[in-house]
Amino acid sequence: MLECREITKTYGRKTAVDHVSLQIQPGKIYAMLGPNGSGKTTLMKMAVGLVKPTSGGFYYNGQPVGQNSRREIAYMSTEPYFYSWMTVGDVGKYYKDFFEDFSEKKYEGLLKRMELTPDLKAKALSSGMMAKLKIAVTMARNARVYLLDEPLNGIDLLARDDIIASVIEAAEQDVSLVISSHLVDELERVADEAIFMKESRLVDVCGVEELRMTKGKSVVERYREIYGHGGEQTWEN
Amino acid sequence: MGKLMKYELRKTMFSKAVLLVITGLVEILYLAGVFLKWDKGLGFGIMGLVLCASVGIFYIGIESLLIWHRDLNTKQSYMLFLTPKNSFQILGAKIVENGLSLFLAGVFFALLAVADWSIGIIYIGGLEEFISVLQDFARSFNVNLEIPVWDILIAFFGCIATWLLMVVTGYFAILLSASVLAGKKFSGFVSFVLYMVLMWADGLILDLVPQLEDFKLQFGWIIAVSFLLSAVYYLISGWIMERKLSV
Repeated sequence: MLECREITKTYGRKTAVDHVSLQIQPGKIYAMLGPNGSGKTTLMKMAVGLVKPTSGGFYYNGQPVGQNSRREIAYMSTEPYFYSWMTVGDVGKYYKDFFEDFSEKKYEGLLKRMELTPDLKAKALSSGMMAKLKIAVTMARNARVYLLDEPLNGIDLLARDDIIASVIEAAEQDVSLVISSHLVDELERVADEAIFMKESRLVDVCGVEELRMTKGKSVVERYREIYGHGGEQTWEN
Repeated sequence: MGKLMKYELRKTMFSKAVLLVITGLVEILYLAGVFLKWDKGLGFGIMGLVLCASVGIFYIGIESLLIWHRDLNTKQSYMLFLTPKNSFQILGAKIVENGLSLFLAGVFFALLAVADWSIGIIYIGGLEEFISVLQDFARSFNVNLEIPVWDILIAFFGCIATWLLMVVTGYFAILLSASVLAGKKFSGFVSFVLYMVLMWADGLILDLVPQLEDFKLQFGWIIAVSFLLSAVYYLISGWIMERKLSV
């Protein structure tokens, strides 16, 4: 299980993540929601050790995240990060060299589905194609936890459903999947839990089905409550 | 660490290929000068080869620092820091790759120089001249039969210690700047200033080594202190990367 305890990250006077405590359970799909600057990306980066917390910590199976947890946690950044000399095929070879859980067969299948070929230069890809490559190489790992930061960014409306479907299919049972996005309705259909971040803080974590059953609300409606007009009062009460 | 080194080498392949191509071109110029008795070609060839060797080896050393700066200050850092490798392995791979690259480049240019020198003497002066030069060389060895093992060892370890301290100090300066400035535009300049300050501080520390009458012992001490300083920089850098560095 992945969890953070009272984690805070500040950059000078700016607080990016403010005393967040959260548990990511196995076998669940989480939608991490919130507007830009709410702390979603920083929180994910702290989960894989790319960003070091100012206080508090992230733990994977009770141990602080680091070298060992990176063997089991797959992270997809929203920004492109591959070396400029790499082709789509080189990206796969790099992952195969470093991650024992990387499956070449799965990668080939995902590339085919994403309509990418190994000879394409990574730096020449459009933003949509780059997003697909990042998803393909991340989901080709048989990780225990997947953290996908804005995976639908740059992907056209028609391809989104297919991307989401391939992400869900690629993830085996009992793994945790955390997907951050501002496309709330796209995630509502697949998520088990919704995490709401606002102004660096964790505002709410709720079960999608539970929300529907007990409060008669959809995630979109809850999102509007929190971030729309008067949202501040709603979540504070 | 082997896989990390493989990719460190891959990052510098382009510049090494360029160096190889330029060296090949000036080598052709040199050989044309020798075989066609073309003085200008010979002159430019020799000058070009000397430049390739000196600038090339210097650049290989500098490039490692430039790549480290890029690795810490761009999103490419994720390629390194998302792998299940610890900071000491990441830094260690960079140091070893750079050392090996410099060593191999040094050997390559040394062998090329010996080959070119031999070809030049044989073709211009004839085989007799070449044999006579070799005999002179052998005679000078016979006169001075004692091979200066200690001097060779001190020179060898002195080179390694100096290079290691320079490169590890560079890594440390860039890391400090990246940790504090986190990818800001002027971080490169700050790294350079920090590097100069740290190199000056290294010099001050090395000056603390007491003056000894025994020249070899004196150099031995300086080499030992240089290695110690490099180890301290390496350990502190690894610690900062593990605990403080956000990319």
